[in-house]
Amino acid sequence: MSELLIKNGRVFDPINSINGDIMDIAIKNGKIVDDISLSPDTKVIDASSMIVMPGGVDAHSHIAGSKVNSGRIMCPNDSRSGIEKRTKITRPCSGYTVPNTFAMGYRYAKLGYTTVFEAAIPILHARHTHEEFGDIPIIDKGGLVLFGSNWQVMEAVRENDIEKLAAYIAWGLSASRGYGVKIVNPGGGEAWGFGKNVSGLHDTVPNFDVTPAEIITGLAKANEMLHLPHSIHLHCNLLGKPGNYKTTIETMKLLENIKPSMDRQVVHITHMTFNAWGGTNWGDFESKADAVADYLNQHDHVTVDMGQLIFGNATTMTADGPMQYANARLLATKWTNGDVELEDASGVVPLSYIRKMYIHDIMWAVGLEVALLTKNPWQVLLTTDHPNGGPFVNYPEVIALLMSARKREEEMLKLSNKMRDRTTLSGIERELDWYDIAIKTRASHAKILGLTDHGKGHLGAYADADVTIYHINPDQVDAGREHATVKKAFEKPAYTIKDGEFVVRNGEITATPEGRTFWVNASVPEEDNTRLMKDLRLKFRKYYSINLANYMVQDNYVKHPVVIKAGGS
Amino acid sequence: MQTVTLIPVMQSKISIEAETITPNNFAGKTREEIENITIWEGNHKTRLFEFFKIALEGKDSPENTKIIINGSIPRVKRVGEGMTDGMILINGDVDMHVGAKMQGGVITVKGNADSWAGREMKGGEIIIGGDAGYYLGAGYRGESCGMRGGKIIVFGDVKDYAGEHICGGEILIKGSAGLMPGISNNGGIITIEGNTEIPGAEMKKGTIKINGVVETLVPSYKQEDDEEIDGIVYNKYTGDVVAGGKGSLYIKK
Repeated sequence: MSELLIKNGRVFDPINSINGDIMDIAIKNGKIVDDISLSPDTKVIDASSMIVMPGGVDAHSHIAGSKVNSGRIMCPNDSRSGIEKRTKITRPCSGYTVPNTFAMGYRYAKLGYTTVFEAAIPILHARHTHEEFGDIPIIDKGGLVLFGSNWQVMEAVRENDIEKLAAYIAWGLSASRGYGVKIVNPGGGEAWGFGKNVSGLHDTVPNFDVTPAEIITGLAKANEMLHLPHSIHLHCNLLGKPGNYKTTIETMKLLENIKPSMDRQVVHITHMTFNAWGGTNWGDFESKADAVADYLNQHDHVTVDMGQLIFGNATTMTADGPMQYANARLLATKWTNGDVELEDASGVVPLSYIRKMYIHDIMWAVGLEVALLTKNPWQVLLTTDHPNGGPFVNYPEVIALLMSARKREEEMLKLSNKMRDRTTLSGIERELDWYDIAIKTRASHAKILGLTDHGKGHLGAYADADVTIYHINPDQVDAGREHATVKKAFEKPAYTIKDGEFVVRNGEITATPEGRTFWVNASVPEEDNTRLMKDLRLKFRKYYSINLANYMVQDNYVKHPVVIKAGGS
Repeated sequence: MQTVTLIPVMQSKISIEAETITPNNFAGKTREEIENITIWEGNHKTRLFEFFKIALEGKDSPENTKIIINGSIPRVKRVGEGMTDGMILINGDVDMHVGAKMQGGVITVKGNADSWAGREMKGGEIIIGGDAGYYLGAGYRGESCGMRGGKIIVFGDVKDYAGEHICGGEILIKGSAGLMPGISNNGGIITIEGNTEIPGAEMKKGTIKINGVVETLVPSYKQEDDEEIDGIVYNKYTGDVVAGGKGSLYIKK
């Protein structure tokens, strides 16, 4: 394979503490190497006065699976936008909030992203997710698997049998070829089967005699028992309800005493835009991002992501069925709900975020406030919870907002006065720098997922040669004033390099290799597994619509797998 | 005044996408330029002269441009799409999506129009002498708004879902309408002189007036006092209650 030398770039590689140094990056056989001896075959890129960063990593996005497809089916209108004709090497694209599979890969690569994780896979529907993964070109993928309203999980929690719970997680990750533990409105998905929801952390789930608090702590303990690379990944109870910041903080407190099994957080709480809300109803709705950020500033066992709202069309999709039903009633819009047998619920609701609707304006501010008020940049990831807050193609807009107080001020002029009164955003002067952005768009994502040792999110030796080069000179551009230039540069990287191969040049796709899929194979003691399988055989016989033997995702559904080993001891 | 006359010389079995046939696009062009305007026959790119003999008189701006199609074009779609001015006269039948997204001007179809006539139109007028198909003045699949403005008059009958998701403008049907006219009406006015079934389901606002017989009415309408309009006494209903709607449904007594 070819060799490549990226010369004289301004390198931002936070994992290796490189902050804008002028350096050369050498690539050989798809990996970063310390040095190469120049030969006539070595390609050289002059990156002087350009920014060089590791390829982007997105730890929370909805890019594949049955929910995304429901969104596509419900929104044929969405495919009227974003139409791009096929070229010699790319397939045709369409869609904005729920683009087709090919567009997912091309558009992420065009933004300089090379690794993206799907944030919600029901085990039962994992095969579908992997089939779509197979059709998403260029980027590496992985997926988080839903465990929060699962019968087997709740029973093990009730019995306080954490070993059996760990065995089930290991089995579930293997069955779905999944990467980590996702929890969505724990207990709520099951209660929704009876038309109910859980009203807080200590409410009992019907028929199971467990509380969301017990489910969360049980799963967190089992997660650490298994030494999984990622922590539990949590969509809190009461998401989307005014006043939910209390539950969010209470949830974080719940996990203060759990020890992480490796150097990372104990819990990742996702899409803060929807979780840091004050008030008691939509009338006195306000932002409580400051309270959440205060907590984050005092505790390091939690990481979060923004789930930033983007004005315009979005398609909300989540395993939180009851929340979506409430959403659809509130907005009088079309909706769908799904029930995943013994495992979870789901819902999809397309909507539009509209400027000057103060609720949307405040939500827009919440994501930014959390990112700006939390001092440690590693603690808050930049996401839009694609496509819930808005489509991922808007990341450059979010970057510009974070880097420029002036841009935020300009944007706030277009919004309602209530937003100014009920958020702290207009008083925040902090502007993130290039290093912070490199953390929030790649380094911290990789670290939180536990992917740094597997070659993602940095440019150290033996890392995957995923590199993005942006056409902007940090010496000449004042990001605070010239936010439009910043946005443009992040929208159209000069180069995206995936495994040492140019996949994007000047915003155009130049190659479409197939990406890999990460999944975690965790080993558990045989006796725990035996106890688990006894339970599972009974469940499949009595309740599931399919056989245990047909349940597991077969290997031929997973193209280019990367298996990460985990397990106790 | 510019008058362009198109005489169909060849009928295709494959549908022809002809959104380029508009006064806006023809105005100020020479005959040769008009002949070479692109149309698509299925996935095959072709030009207007392959299907039409073209005669041209004068040269003028879009508002003073008149297109006359002398004959039926039952496989030519999207005629007059997005036009803002001028006139189109079709002396025969036309295929789907005539006058889609139209913003101004007048389209007159002497024969029948197929489905989706006046889809998402914003202004102007469409007059259909014969019948119209399904989804007259409706929205595109999945959109929450159909016709937003302008007027459609149909002298014959129309099929199901006339004015689906209509948000404004006016539809007048002289004949009968199929199932569910004005479904999800959100502010449009629909008048049906003939018979129909299940009008106004999920209507949020707007008006539907029916002078013929209504076979089935959704149960979620609230009956009000009778009202007399232009000398005709109507049963008046408001709804659709299911959608929290405040639309008015008038059915001749």
